[in-house]
Amino acid sequence: MLVDTKYLFLRLGQAILVLLLAFTAAFVLLSLIPGDGVTARFADPALGLSADQIAAIREETGADSPALSRYLLTLAGFLAGNFGFSVQTGAAVSTIVAAALPSTAVLALSGFVTALVLAVIIAVLATYGPTSGPLRWVRRALDATPSLFISIPVFWLGILLIQVFSFQLGLVSVVEPGSAEALVLPTLTVAVPLSAPIAQVLIRSITEVKTSPFVKVTQAKGASEPWILVHAVARNAILPGLTIIGLIFGELVAGAVVTETVFGRNGIGQITAQAVTHRDNPILLAVVVIATFGYVLINLIVDLLYPVIDVRLRGNRTSTLAQVGTAEDTGPAEPVSGNFAGGKES
Amino acid sequence: MTDLRPSASARTIDRRSILSLGLGLGTLITLSACTPTDDAPLAEGAPVQGGVLKYFEPQTWTLLYPPSVGFYPNGGIMNNISARLLWQDPTTLELHPWLATELPEVNANATEYTFTIRGGVTYSDGSPLTPANVARNFDLFGLGDEARTLPVSEQISNYERSEVLDGSRVRFHFSAPSPGFAQATSTMNAGLLADSTLGLDAEGFGPGGATGIHTCGPFHITAESIGTKLSVRARDDYDWAPPHLAHQGRPYLDGIDYLVNNEYSVRIGAVLSGQADGVRDVQAPDEARVEEQGLRLYAKPTNGINNGINFRFRHPLLADIRVRRALIAAIDRTEIVDKLFTPNFPLATGVVAKGAMGYKDQSGAWKHNPTEANRLLDEAGWGQRNAEGYRVKDGQVLALVVNTALPQPRSNEVQTLIQQQLRHVGVRLSINPGDQSKQTLDSLSLDEIQIYHSMVARAEYDNLRSNYASVNRDVFLNGTGRDDAEDSTVDPEIDRLLEELATEPVRAKRQEAAERFQDYLVEKAYVLPFFEEPQVFSFRRRVNGFETEPVGRPSFYNTWLADENAS
Repeated sequence: MLVDTKYLFLRLGQAILVLLLAFTAAFVLLSLIPGDGVTARFADPALGLSADQIAAIREETGADSPALSRYLLTLAGFLAGNFGFSVQTGAAVSTIVAAALPSTAVLALSGFVTALVLAVIIAVLATYGPTSGPLRWVRRALDATPSLFISIPVFWLGILLIQVFSFQLGLVSVVEPGSAEALVLPTLTVAVPLSAPIAQVLIRSITEVKTSPFVKVTQAKGASEPWILVHAVARNAILPGLTIIGLIFGELVAGAVVTETVFGRNGIGQITAQAVTHRDNPILLAVVVIATFGYVLINLIVDLLYPVIDVRLRGNRTSTLAQVGTAEDTGPAEPVSGNFAGGKES
Repeated sequence: MTDLRPSASARTIDRRSILSLGLGLGTLITLSACTPTDDAPLAEGAPVQGGVLKYFEPQTWTLLYPPSVGFYPNGGIMNNISARLLWQDPTTLELHPWLATELPEVNANATEYTFTIRGGVTYSDGSPLTPANVARNFDLFGLGDEARTLPVSEQISNYERSEVLDGSRVRFHFSAPSPGFAQATSTMNAGLLADSTLGLDAEGFGPGGATGIHTCGPFHITAESIGTKLSVRARDDYDWAPPHLAHQGRPYLDGIDYLVNNEYSVRIGAVLSGQADGVRDVQAPDEARVEEQGLRLYAKPTNGINNGINFRFRHPLLADIRVRRALIAAIDRTEIVDKLFTPNFPLATGVVAKGAMGYKDQSGAWKHNPTEANRLLDEAGWGQRNAEGYRVKDGQVLALVVNTALPQPRSNEVQTLIQQQLRHVGVRLSINPGDQSKQTLDSLSLDEIQIYHSMVARAEYDNLRSNYASVNRDVFLNGTGRDDAEDSTVDPEIDRLLEELATEPVRAKRQEAAERFQDYLVEKAYVLPFFEEPQVFSFRRRVNGFETEPVGRPSFYNTWLADENAS
């Protein structure tokens, strides 16, 4: 059995704890920011309300009740699936989030898959590309690509892609595009910076694994380069890649904020940006909980995948955990070197 | 020591301009020569019916509750979906009948208004317009409903109650004279709602509920994608346009799609590349280049209080009139307008715009004279300078904070220029950073913001009251009972003069009262207006007949698309 139930329940319990902590931390931090959304909205000079009228609305919305009672009330609401109402518009947070979530999920998935493909291509070419001949610059260039990709500002890339592919070449429309058409440029925008850390880690681990003694042995037995890459190197090099995938989820969310703003997509990123400018705490709380949920889920999946990919991580769970946790300390003697699992959050 | 300072400040400016270069790159590419130019022929002849206009807004709409539609994206929608009792001519600002068959009967002291309601008008949900429904509308707009977080309209003051007289007449009663009410019934903030819509709470008027909002204007809402798009379509049965207009019956357009994108270069690029038809909020530096690309550019006046700054005289540093006069003399308004704007932003000649009600020419009141500024500051006891060159008195630096007026064009650039100008006379100006909420919240406190940058538009004398009265926008923070200022520092004359203006029923006397109030602001050196703020739109050449209502919100009733008959 690849997954033992006790471990799964332990991890689920941890996940719930993380969600609760994230919710609490977000609530406390948002409460600490001076001024709240109710005042920000109704004291807006565009409404021209008097101080008395604003006070009456504050009273009505319960904005002045003690923090603890607001916390418990909000928490109870979240547990019951009621995220409350947007301070800025009065609309139900669940309505706003439900409208935004699918678009972000699709973008995240397509961006993620593209980033993965991009990273694998870069990593393989940068490590197996020609070392001599007229094309040797390709390898060198691709080796430097991750540093370039990570340095490109997302908003700049998005605008540039729109300008070139939509406005100049007219290949895709940014105004009311078809659902696939709408995904092409944002996907690229998300994927490019996302692919950089994955590619970097893959390049490093492939290089390391390639020099390992067991690869040399396989080579000596007469295996071809491609066979070694697929059967020997890839299986060992993929573990650190998997770890970094779990970690870059946060980057995916951050990238969505900018990408969705530039492309005018209604998604979690766009509503987050708007909620921040309007001190719309109910929306921000919901976003924090959703993002945390996504993060926890991805990392749970990643952790459950380790034993599927690496036979050495199967078997007795407790000892395996200890092994993963100290993988970095075990030094070069371990074949699975460069495993970052020790630094992972639960 | 002194030599180091300019280089230090030059470094910050450099970094900022590099940043703005990066941010502006997208626009630069869009507006560069390689973008296709719009060279469609300008249409001649009679308007053509058909087509859906694709129109870009920088922000998504937030609330379609009429009293809250002052926010531009809200107003751009409400003005086109709603009809009102009266119609105000955007040029002459005269009132004409619309859903009322004639101008209202008003009693001598303007506390009772009687309207006769037009028959045969229906809302988009099929319900009829009746005097009882009109009464319910104004009961909500005039009194508000805090339980539903629906605020009262700032344009309707002293509202008491409504009274349905018979099958076609309704009367409104006011507790004190309310001469601005007739005009208030003509604005989009008094767009009439169907009975089913009047029962909604703030959630119902917000995103997600748009298709449940029923109005009786030329267009009605048919589809909504939260945060990205709102579609309105023409009502084929619309037959109650203001009788004053030449065009009657249904609008020429089949509909309008309001699209949203926060990224300026994308909005402009979409119009330039022909993917969209029009865009609001073209920035001043791009006006010339947009016209070079063949697009139509419209700078529509907003006919309100001019874009400018207000000195919060209750703060100890601004209590001395000599300091306020010195600030006015130190600021070069001409440089602001010439350097940062175009001729579409005329230098202010009064507290309100030339086209606004109550305008008085006061162009001589704000002369640029740095020598005089220095003299006044020395005289006011600010003669000493600290090591950085700023003026000090009793150990306190003459340092002031101004807000960033985010809805206003280039507020930050304007304030940066003023910062440099004031530096020359030894006054330190800080610009309050942060988003809209932070600006709103900080502006409520004298300790945070001492100079308040703003503008507000409404084509009525009451606009002055909305802006300056301590019970309304209160730009000076001139109310009693504040914890950051003594009650003794209140200037009661401001509210007194505004009350005089707001309760004077005779129009000619209202003009006098408005002028008296503006004279007082000038005499006390409370304000420094910069320019008359327009709303700048750009449309492709096939878009004809674009108009705005009196304060610059788009009005698409007369708009038509030239090549639609071909398709």
